[in-house]
Amino acid sequence: MYKSILVAYDGSTAAAKAFHSALELAERLGAALGVVSVAQLPEPPTMGETSAILDAANSHYEKDFRKLRADAKSRGLELQTHILAGHPADQIIHRAAETGADLIVMGHRGGSRMKEWLLGSISKRVLSYAPCSVLIVRIGVERSTKRGSSC
Amino acid sequence: MTHVWAQASLWLALALLATLLSIWFRIATALSEIVVGTVAQLVIGALIGTTALGASESWITFLSGTGAIVLTFLAGAELDPKVFRAKWKEATVVGLIAFFAPFFGCAAVARYVLHWGSQPSWLCGIALSTTSVAVVYAVMLELGLNKTDFGKAILAACFINDLGTVIFLGLVFAPFTWRTLTFVVGCLVVFPLIFWLTPRFFRWYGNRPSELEAKYLLLLLFGMGALAAWADSEAVLPAYIIGMVLAGTVGNDHQLVRRLRTLTFGLLTPFYFIRAGSFVLVPALIAAPLVFATLLAAKMATKFVGVYPVTKAFGYVKREGLYTTMLMSTGLTFGTISALFGLNHKIITQVQYTHLVATVIASAVIPTLIANAFFLPHYLLPRRSDHESTQKIAGDAAVA
Repeated sequence: MYKSILVAYDGSTAAAKAFHSALELAERLGAALGVVSVAQLPEPPTMGETSAILDAANSHYEKDFRKLRADAKSRGLELQTHILAGHPADQIIHRAAETGADLIVMGHRGGSRMKEWLLGSISKRVLSYAPCSVLIVRIGVERSTKRGSSC
Repeated sequence: MTHVWAQASLWLALALLATLLSIWFRIATALSEIVVGTVAQLVIGALIGTTALGASESWITFLSGTGAIVLTFLAGAELDPKVFRAKWKEATVVGLIAFFAPFFGCAAVARYVLHWGSQPSWLCGIALSTTSVAVVYAVMLELGLNKTDFGKAILAACFINDLGTVIFLGLVFAPFTWRTLTFVVGCLVVFPLIFWLTPRFFRWYGNRPSELEAKYLLLLLFGMGALAAWADSEAVLPAYIIGMVLAGTVGNDHQLVRRLRTLTFGLLTPFYFIRAGSFVLVPALIAAPLVFATLLAAKMATKFVGVYPVTKAFGYVKREGLYTTMLMSTGLTFGTISALFGLNHKIITQVQYTHLVATVIASAVIPTLIANAFFLPHYLLPRRSDHESTQKIAGDAAVA
């Protein structure tokens, strides 16, 4: 069914839950599993701050990735991890297209209406423009599946 | 001292507010600090008095000036010497043209269209000649172009462009007396000396809790800044060149750079950007929006006239050339530094300063949006390699 699964990981509880759902799915289907995290840069990017954000993202996600890799290894899976910079939705979609992923799994944090209106929801944007199926995992709900267009 | 502590509390409260706003709205902290400074001056000025914020007090001026110097130094230290050595020909030509075209073009527009005086027009040319390395780098990073020859050449060109800006800022308004000559000779002696001495000095005495490296660098920056100020030049000129000279030493020491960033962003740059914002006159912008629009159009048009033909000469296809041109039209920090220099030295009026800062801020955003919307060379985007289990964003970057 799915041969390549990409998890969008931002370090939140929802993302951790999405990762474990994807891990279970990858194990059952024998699919390849990848994780992508995105360092969001400020607008407009400025001297020093951009470098500081990239440094912080690298050290933060690297620490998380060690644990995720160990979890994957315990189930006999090899995990590909990747840290990108830019708008999270754009980068997740590009990554999925580049690696030929046929399923994106991501958490939904459920930000306030004001925040969503101001900044837009990352999961909504991925769902709208992804080149493959998308699974949105919600906190407090066992699993909620939404499908985008198929690859 | 009560007055100073109270004022320091007010400024840090503003800095904290600006940081929170930058987090909530995902905008650059520098931009947020400029806006907070502008609004704070407007509100506090109306409620308590125009001098209540104390933007012209000597200790605030000192912290603000130090912020500009250290920030400029860090910007110079981000140069990757290997990339520059590999692409220096293209980078030098594109960078110099990207500086000179807007420098002369925007100065001419200010002089003959806006009827500014001669000195303010030159200052306008300098402030709008910059290219934001940070904006260009971020765009390259997002698209993965920072690893391509195309991306590396543009990044290196940005450093040359900004070097032109700081050199002209430091020398155009200098009186050219024996002091200027002493300053130039001092630079010619000190820069090669620190290139040789710094790595050795850090190896012998560095990596101790006493933070010897930070003290050494601040001594260099203050010392050369004092020499520049004594020669009626600008302290950011030696700071940027010292950063470039030490890029291979300081730039590679990530721990040291992180410690310097803590000092810079935690204490110094909030004073610099809030102060820069506090001099912006909102009524002046509302009263004459066409001035701002004219200056922005002049910057983008002159960058186009200068950079686009050069990219063609280097064999860039149309889309690559237009994309490069648009990216080289961005600018923020050096533009603000130049404008504030002009205001501090009474070269420009506060109204002219307001228009310049507004143009500089717009130039950090608008050209990038146009470039990504219409001229992105999609075929240059590399396929990211999957050979390594993890790829970091900064580790393989040309400039971090």
